Amino acid sequence: MELLEFAVEKALERGASYAEARYEEKNGTSLAMKNGNPEGLEVLADKGIGIRVLVDGGMGFASTNVLTKESVSEAVKKAVKLAKAASKVRNEPIRFSEEDFHRVSYKVKMKKDFRDFSPEEKLEILKKIEEEVKATGVNVPMRYLTYSDQLWKKVFVNSEGAYVKSKIPRVSVTYNLVVIENGQMEQAPFVQRAFSGGLELIEKDEPWKWAVKDVQALKRLIYEGKKPPEGKVDLVISPEVAGIAVHESVGHPYEADRILGREAAQAGESFVKPGMLGERIGSEVVTVIDDPTIPNSWGFYLYDDEGVKARPRYLIRNGIITEFLTNREYAAKLGQRSNGSARALNYNREPIVRMANTYLAPGDHSFEELIEDIKLGVYMVSFNEWNIDDRRYQQRYIGREAYLIENGEIKHPVRRPILEITTKALWSSVDAVGKDVEFYPGTCGKGEPSQGVPVWMGGAHARLRDIPLRRP
Amino acid sequence: MFDVNEFILKKAKELGFGDVVVLGYEMDRRQVRFANNEITVAKNWHERKVELFVELEKRVAGTTITELSEENIERTLKTLLSNMKGMAPKEDYHGIAEGPFQYKDIPETFDKAIIELDEPNEYVETAINAALEEGAKRVAGVLYTDHKGLYLTTSNGVEAFDEGTGIEISVRAFIGDLESGHGTNSVRVLKKFDPESAGRKAGEIARMAQNPEQGPEGRFDVIFDPLAFANLLSYMSFMTSAYAAEAGFSFLVNKLGQKVASELVTIKDVGNMPNGYGTRKFDDEGVPTRETTIIENGTFKTFLLNTSLAKKYGTETTANAGLIMPHAWNIVLEPGDWSKEELFSEVKRGIYITNVWYTRFQNYVAGDFSTIPRDGIFLVENGELRPIRNIRVSDNLQRILEGIRALGKESYHIHWWEVSTPVTTPYVLVEDVGITRATK
Repeated sequence: MELLEFAVEKALERGASYAEARYEEKNGTSLAMKNGNPEGLEVLADKGIGIRVLVDGGMGFASTNVLTKESVSEAVKKAVKLAKAASKVRNEPIRFSEEDFHRVSYKVKMKKDFRDFSPEEKLEILKKIEEEVKATGVNVPMRYLTYSDQLWKKVFVNSEGAYVKSKIPRVSVTYNLVVIENGQMEQAPFVQRAFSGGLELIEKDEPWKWAVKDVQALKRLIYEGKKPPEGKVDLVISPEVAGIAVHESVGHPYEADRILGREAAQAGESFVKPGMLGERIGSEVVTVIDDPTIPNSWGFYLYDDEGVKARPRYLIRNGIITEFLTNREYAAKLGQRSNGSARALNYNREPIVRMANTYLAPGDHSFEELIEDIKLGVYMVSFNEWNIDDRRYQQRYIGREAYLIENGEIKHPVRRPILEITTKALWSSVDAVGKDVEFYPGTCGKGEPSQGVPVWMGGAHARLRDIPLRRP
Repeated sequence: MFDVNEFILKKAKELGFGDVVVLGYEMDRRQVRFANNEITVAKNWHERKVELFVELEKRVAGTTITELSEENIERTLKTLLSNMKGMAPKEDYHGIAEGPFQYKDIPETFDKAIIELDEPNEYVETAINAALEEGAKRVAGVLYTDHKGLYLTTSNGVEAFDEGTGIEISVRAFIGDLESGHGTNSVRVLKKFDPESAGRKAGEIARMAQNPEQGPEGRFDVIFDPLAFANLLSYMSFMTSAYAAEAGFSFLVNKLGQKVASELVTIKDVGNMPNGYGTRKFDDEGVPTRETTIIENGTFKTFLLNTSLAKKYGTETTANAGLIMPHAWNIVLEPGDWSKEELFSEVKRGIYITNVWYTRFQNYVAGDFSTIPRDGIFLVENGELRPIRNIRVSDNLQRILEGIRALGKESYHIHWWEVSTPVTTPYVLVEDVGITRATK
């Protein structure tokens, strides 16, 4: 990767106090199937170099997909020029935290390398979903299925001695299924199963089983679903619902760039302030971790896109705010070291503070123990509509598959129970957490231009006491 | 780039492909991001690429080629060919448009002054200062300049070129933690660019929004600022694609010819709108872009189509290709005849929402959704505005369209992070909108 070193040298020659260059190459295929019809093949082959510099305390970024010295040199020139001009509209210069850098290379192995399989063979996965869904006898008139695989290769070099080379394969299946029975309609949209690794992970996960479970649950909801209880009840949330809740109301508001206002115009700010480290935000049993290093996870990496070694980040430990997600710029502002949360979606994007795999850490309750003393409550298994304000405080999750809990037993399905609650009330209401952790994939949006990065969200089951539930 | 296009087309035909579309891009994009009244990063992208669509006996495939050497092009085509040979055909594929076509220049889509603009930072400073003058303490946002060349060649006789420019700014102004406002300005020619108005609006709303009280819940008459209503229409734009309807992502499924909105509502897609941020001379198969009425006086008239989907449904393309997925260019909600003052005085007790984000659907086919107001929100009582906070719009998209009671007479063209398909809309008064809030 001579071009990367060339870029860094050129930037320093042109007056940069810091420079980094990142080569990324993505190769893969994606396939869609709509109502049983193959919708065509999309082949991805993309590569390029992104260059980021600091000059006089201003930051500039430029990228090119023309991999010649001339083009890279031109990009460096632009990045330096932009950084210089930007430095004039700054109150204080940008500084990066001191870090230890390494020369490393790592990769995720594939047992079944997706490059060895034809599109037709990959389409078999979608056909299998079609067949299994049809075999249930449930009426599913709209079925939209996609498969995609991508091999991400990266090389990162900076002017402080970092050299990080990585190769991460990613495979994913998504579906949207519309069930119409008895003149009523329910939907499971954008459900995804996704991993870092080879085809064997999708095969082992059996996405068709998830699809079958979804359509059967929706059919049962149509025929047997009743209104959920309203007013104050107990609520048990599944790992899937706990996952979206920790992602939205813990991960996002703990991003240091957001806390300090850099994302204010787009993804918003945060109710969390730097002085809140050490403050209580949830009950004793709530611990939330963001860990990029989980093997085969959708959000997997070992070094971030600033060359900093990744590690698990304890965002909440026993109910106390313990750590923010940081990159070098915001670690420096907070007087800390970076915890390796800088990610860029592609060579043409700047690295910004991101989550990886965020989860509610397990507790000591079995599922039976969680529900045994609930007199009246709801078990929310999956969700559809969800959103949260841009300070990450007022949120809402609506159950897709959900059941009534009565006298310690799971009863009939309930329709669309709505949890609309503040972040502090949510995490303060948790009085028990289950033993087993599960993860669910998602695409986390942030940055401008938007950078949808792969993440896992999950955790254990959690029991919330005395929650005001709503009905539609 | 036509030489590259020609080479790809020639090689593709030699290999036996049927329909071939080659869409070349040459793009220069510049970005200045700012927050806390200072520039956080400035960026530049230069990109040359070709989007390629090929068909082989009803099997379809696409890719983007970024390395444009002859060797790589041939390798890519051969890879596509070998991958497609074993694939099942797409039985509902019906081809691409038959060219050539005549194209007209669309006014206000190209301006050399934007290309020659050396330094856009002064516009950023103008916007920041305008917001500060209105009383803001922190100002954040983004400015873009764009220059794009499009080169289209198809196997059905199309060879077309379009060159466009643009400049836009999005400004968010803050006073405290809970008081903010937002303004945008997106244009295609420099002389129409008005960063000051964006900054001033953001600052003014932030100032008006000071010391908000907890908002109420229930059903209210709501005045949506153009920025807020553009968000809903931008989400809706995807649902107007025939592809989205087939895939189960649209509340318009099976509603052709039916009333889906108030009689005041006429919604169009205008691909050839002068000064529109999504405007292009032609769609991805070379059909000249045009105006398509999607909803006319409340009645749903058509989905957006490409040639293949149009043939499937026995009708004509609406010039919205996307070869796999048709999509809108510029969504336009036709204005009404109410002045802004008249709209506000019409509301005895209601809510004015200046912006929303995070619109998410419980059920796309039913249209049930919620979205969160952000920036200034106001209780409107007999013409007086009182700032409130922490509420959510929880309703149904079709019901919102049916509940439109009055439309402002001035339209605003909106394009920003949350409104990816540009939308032109006036102020909109909707009756009986569902408002909820967290109670714990």
